[in-house]
Amino acid sequence: MSKTSLIATSALDAAKSARRSHVLIDVLDNVSVVWIAARKGQSGALATRVNKLYGVTLTSSPRLVTSQGGVSFLSAGPDQWLAVATMATGQDLATILADQLQGLASVADQTDARTLVCVSGDKARDTLAKGLPIDLHPRAFLEGAVATTHAAHIGVILWRPIGSDSFIIACSRSYSDSFWRWLTESAAEHGLVVA
Amino acid sequence: MRINCPYCGERSLDEFVYQGDASLTRPDPSAPDAASTFYAYGYIRANIADAHKELWYHSAGCHAWLVVSRDTRTHAIASVTLAKNVALARAKSSPGGA
Amino acid sequence: MATPEQPNRIANKGLIDRRAPLRFTFDGVAYTGFQGDTLASALLANGVTLTGRSFKYHRPRGILSAGSEEPNALVELRSGSRREPNTRATTIEIYQGLEAQSQNRWPSLKYDLLSINGLLSPALVAGFYYKTFMWPASFWEKIYEPMIRRAAGLGRAADAPDPDTYEKSSAFCDVLVVGAGPAGLSAALAAGRSGARVILVDENFALGGRLLSDTEKLDGLSGIEWVRQTEAELHTLPEVRILLRTTLTGAYDGGTFSAVERVADHVPKPAAHTPRQRLWRIVAKRTIVATGATERPIVFGNNDRPGVMLASAVRTYINRFGVTPGRNAVLFINNDDGARTATGLHAAGARIAAIVDARHDPSAPVRKIADATGARLISGVVSDVQGRLAVTGARIVPHNGTAFDIACDLIAVSGGFNPNVQITTHLNGKSKWDDALAAFVPGDVPHGMTVIGAAAGNFALSRCLTDGASWGAGAATGTGYPVDVPYIPTVANTGYDIVPHWRVRVAKHKAFVDFQNDVTVSDITLAEREGYRSVEHVKRYTTLGMATDQGRTGNVNGLAILAEITGKTIPETGSTSARPPYTPVAMGALAGHHRGKDFKPTRLPPSYDWAKVQGAIFVETGLWMRPQYFPLPGETDWLETVTREVKTTREKVGICDVSTLGKIEVHGSDAAIFLDRIYINAFTSLPVGRARYGVMLREDGFVMDDGTCARFAEDRFFMTTTTANAVKVMQHLEFCHQWHWPDLDVQMTSATDQWAQYSVAGPRARDLLAKIADAPFDISNAAFPYMAVAELTVCGGVKARLYRLSFSGELAYEIGVPARFGDALMRRLMEAGAEYGAIPYGTEALGVMRIEKGHVGGNEINGTMTAADLGLGKMMSIKKDYIGRVLAGREGLADAQRPVLIGIRPVNRTARLRAGAHFLAKDAAATASNDAGYVTSVAYSPMAGHWIGLGLLANGPQRHGEIIRAYDPVRGGDTLVEVVAPCFFDTEGGRLRV
Repeated sequence: MSKTSLIATSALDAAKSARRSHVLIDVLDNVSVVWIAARKGQSGALATRVNKLYGVTLTSSPRLVTSQGGVSFLSAGPDQWLAVATMATGQDLATILADQLQGLASVADQTDARTLVCVSGDKARDTLAKGLPIDLHPRAFLEGAVATTHAAHIGVILWRPIGSDSFIIACSRSYSDSFWRWLTESAAEHGLVVA
Repeated sequence: MRINCPYCGERSLDEFVYQGDASLTRPDPSAPDAASTFYAYGYIRANIADAHKELWYHSAGCHAWLVVSRDTRTHAIASVTLAKNVALARAKSSPGGA
Repeated sequence: MATPEQPNRIANKGLIDRRAPLRFTFDGVAYTGFQGDTLASALLANGVTLTGRSFKYHRPRGILSAGSEEPNALVELRSGSRREPNTRATTIEIYQGLEAQSQNRWPSLKYDLLSINGLLSPALVAGFYYKTFMWPASFWEKIYEPMIRRAAGLGRAADAPDPDTYEKSSAFCDVLVVGAGPAGLSAALAAGRSGARVILVDENFALGGRLLSDTEKLDGLSGIEWVRQTEAELHTLPEVRILLRTTLTGAYDGGTFSAVERVADHVPKPAAHTPRQRLWRIVAKRTIVATGATERPIVFGNNDRPGVMLASAVRTYINRFGVTPGRNAVLFINNDDGARTATGLHAAGARIAAIVDARHDPSAPVRKIADATGARLISGVVSDVQGRLAVTGARIVPHNGTAFDIACDLIAVSGGFNPNVQITTHLNGKSKWDDALAAFVPGDVPHGMTVIGAAAGNFALSRCLTDGASWGAGAATGTGYPVDVPYIPTVANTGYDIVPHWRVRVAKHKAFVDFQNDVTVSDITLAEREGYRSVEHVKRYTTLGMATDQGRTGNVNGLAILAEITGKTIPETGSTSARPPYTPVAMGALAGHHRGKDFKPTRLPPSYDWAKVQGAIFVETGLWMRPQYFPLPGETDWLETVTREVKTTREKVGICDVSTLGKIEVHGSDAAIFLDRIYINAFTSLPVGRARYGVMLREDGFVMDDGTCARFAEDRFFMTTTTANAVKVMQHLEFCHQWHWPDLDVQMTSATDQWAQYSVAGPRARDLLAKIADAPFDISNAAFPYMAVAELTVCGGVKARLYRLSFSGELAYEIGVPARFGDALMRRLMEAGAEYGAIPYGTEALGVMRIEKGHVGGNEINGTMTAADLGLGKMMSIKKDYIGRVLAGREGLADAQRPVLIGIRPVNRTARLRAGAHFLAKDAAATASNDAGYVTSVAYSPMAGHWIGLGLLANGPQRHGEIIRAYDPVRGGDTLVEVVAPCFFDTEGGRLRV
């Protein structure tokens, strides 16, 4: 789609990249999100195929694995995963995966359905605790952990990338404005200033 | 109340939606007495003050339906299983079912 | 010794910071206190003992306690929009500029005219509101209630919106310790040393509990020294979180607790971005309850006069705040602990006029204290108090001797201690009576909870420390963090030795049991005499324990008095249940972030920003903000705008954002079979590249939702649902798959937010879309007929989905693109459509056009309709089973008499129709038995030139042409209407197939 003249807009265009002191919030653009659900009886074959193509083992508990090429597979429910990756322009992860996993999994693009933010800093946990009802302590929510839950009545999926003490949170696109209001209000106490 | 979702782990009550008695299964719609069995399935409920198997939906989480064994007097939860697994086992044990 | 400003301040005593004086006002009078004071201690330091008027009788009241149990000293705090009623002076930390007002008095605290209520008291006895104001009934709302509200009541809420913010937060821990007295501190330290995650909460603004008020030594250290040492170590433990000013308000299932942290109540106003209060939800694996005990008064005549104070509170004011609440005191006790107050008063330079011990044989420790303080020791009772605005004396009735009066300015009273068991009973646990302690102690406690120290009835300091250490270590060990029991300091043993004495029978004056609700002994007696003998009935009839303090100082006394009156034991009499919250909680804290615009989340459709710039008027549909209509300059009325939008769409082309429809990807080799079981009509027969309208029922046979479902491949469907039912339908599909038919190969996920979707409707719709569809897509009627669907690219490579669907009855399409292109596509469609006169239209025009076409909407699919009711009975397949089929066949649902969908138009074409009007035969009386149905939807039809409507009418299809009444008594409507087929425009349906 490199030649289109339509300009893509993020649901959080106006708010991008607020960063100060104890909480850093980055709006992540150009991250592809693809839903993968194993066809009946094909979980094993699907895992084998993914392992062969990406060198990672799909997990059946809420965790993520990341391939050498930077594609993360997040467990998102029984026999369901989300593939998440920053894609080069013109590459469509959903089409690629639909093709690669043909017959083994149902695949649908969710890239536009989600708005992603990355929250980090030493007060990230205190900020997120103001809406997320789950335990984010490093002992409880390890690197690579994934959780589907809600924040301030807004459905979210969040995860801790491998090798990082930050949180990526994806909320449904249409909730972005409300989600952002909650997140920035919660972070304000810890020094966040929205640019 | 907190429910230990077999997939997501322990979560607070507000992530779940309650459905009701998990001992009921959808009757055979082609049976001659379907009208009465569906009526009972739809409307007849025991009001149990004891351990109760019931269906819950993890709506804010993994979207799995769960069979929760809960004591209705104390809210103590004895077990939580994926409803799909219970249903699959049920289908296996009664070849005519599902 | 005393400074002139603070005459009752004691030199060199207390934990206040004398270098930090703070100015504050009470009833407009300026005073000075110190950092570390409560409002109560600062008022007492300044010699102010009269703090308010009581609820019913407007009796003068002072300060009874030094904690959150305070029933009397309730004040209005702050002013203007920050004014907060009914705050306890005993828990308010003073700050520079604090303003407080006494409550419930007029015109002034000292000369309260409504204290005449005291003279009217026979009318205000137990149950007064059940019997006094019963007649005539019409007087209640206009006269009695406003009168009672003025006369009896508490403080005034602020009358402007609260300018401060509140928030909620979650916390998780291995060990939660509630209460930071000696037991709690000891437990937190033991658990914290293990490395376990520990949360220690205390409602006070300083750690230490009773150690701040008492003078016992721990290994030779003073209490406060030991507290500081312990606090210092706790701060070195990274997994220990201390929440001061935090009240644990409720216990819930699964180790869940609520707590309110008063983040900024102790400063003039919250710092920027700081909430006033924070509501915590704490989830703990183990909980140690070390909430201490609350002293209770003894009930005697005029025991509510300012200057009657709990004995332990007197010690707190002396030792913690360096204030003596009196100079000439009488002690009235029934246990050893109370006598220790004499020691404190003596050390503070006050005179002890008498120690009155209700026990017939005062114990050795009490005799010793009497000797040491030079107090006269009397075995007997205080029967009545003298003085009105302040205590001036006490009448003492010795057990063996004659009554006499004694002058005093303070009566320190101790009727024993009630363990603070409230949070152990929030989950229905019953506390149990302990005869030796004459108090309720915890009975069954929730799983994972342990009660220690005074809260468990173990009042001795040594026991608090040892139990804290061992249970703290045990709790940590139990959660996987093994640790040894730490060293415990040595303390001297002190006894308690109580003989209960609940009330003084020889009292002459009103004897109060529940101070806050003005419940007296005679109220309980009266209730019993009138037949209210169960404790629950007495509580509700007298309102004992029903005030904001939940009867913390009065309940046990009331229960014991009821037991005495009925001749039963206390366990036989029972007890009432404490419920959350332990202390009152501000509504703001419960709402947190969710107020005003953030009351609930808002969902914005992809064209929102564009529509806003166009000046669209928005309407909330569920959580969505949808454009309702797009007024142009010069248009003055919504109907004018909507009429234009409908006409332009039907004559040219209109564009509407329909992204809010629920969208679900349904995939899998059994997807078609699955949909056959979900919808009443067939989907296995739907060819690839086509869409079909579908209706789904609930299992009880009523219509659940409708929408279209497109087939993009043999194993790939795309379902749409109504905006309102998207979540419910998803849940239903998951249920049917996971629970009914887990053997089907079907997978699904919501795609509502993935696709921006626009309806493009009107005669020029095809021309418009032809301009944006990328070659070689053929959009001709032959290649892409009605109900065709396709995946294509638009605008030079953007992947898109095109559906030839029509809700308006026009030649129409829905075009979907990934949501990030939604804003741009809307702009592009408007540009491309300019030459055809394209306009945007909103939900109003959408609704008008669907009513003109007789399509059912949310007003019709309202949970009470069958498919046949909606004229969709023919869609119900007889070749397959589907959800709801069997029960839809029930007699009542298949009844031919059921109202069925029809159209109506007014006989007088200028008449306006109203939804909700009921149908009556033309000459029938307006009775329920003649009710023949009702109007569901109405609209002004620009095409017909008059109002039209849809409705449900008994035997409707047979009554086309009949004139009936649309009767609307609520809005005074009674309109003759003609029954017609539910379609008012293009009845042949030719326009959508061209």
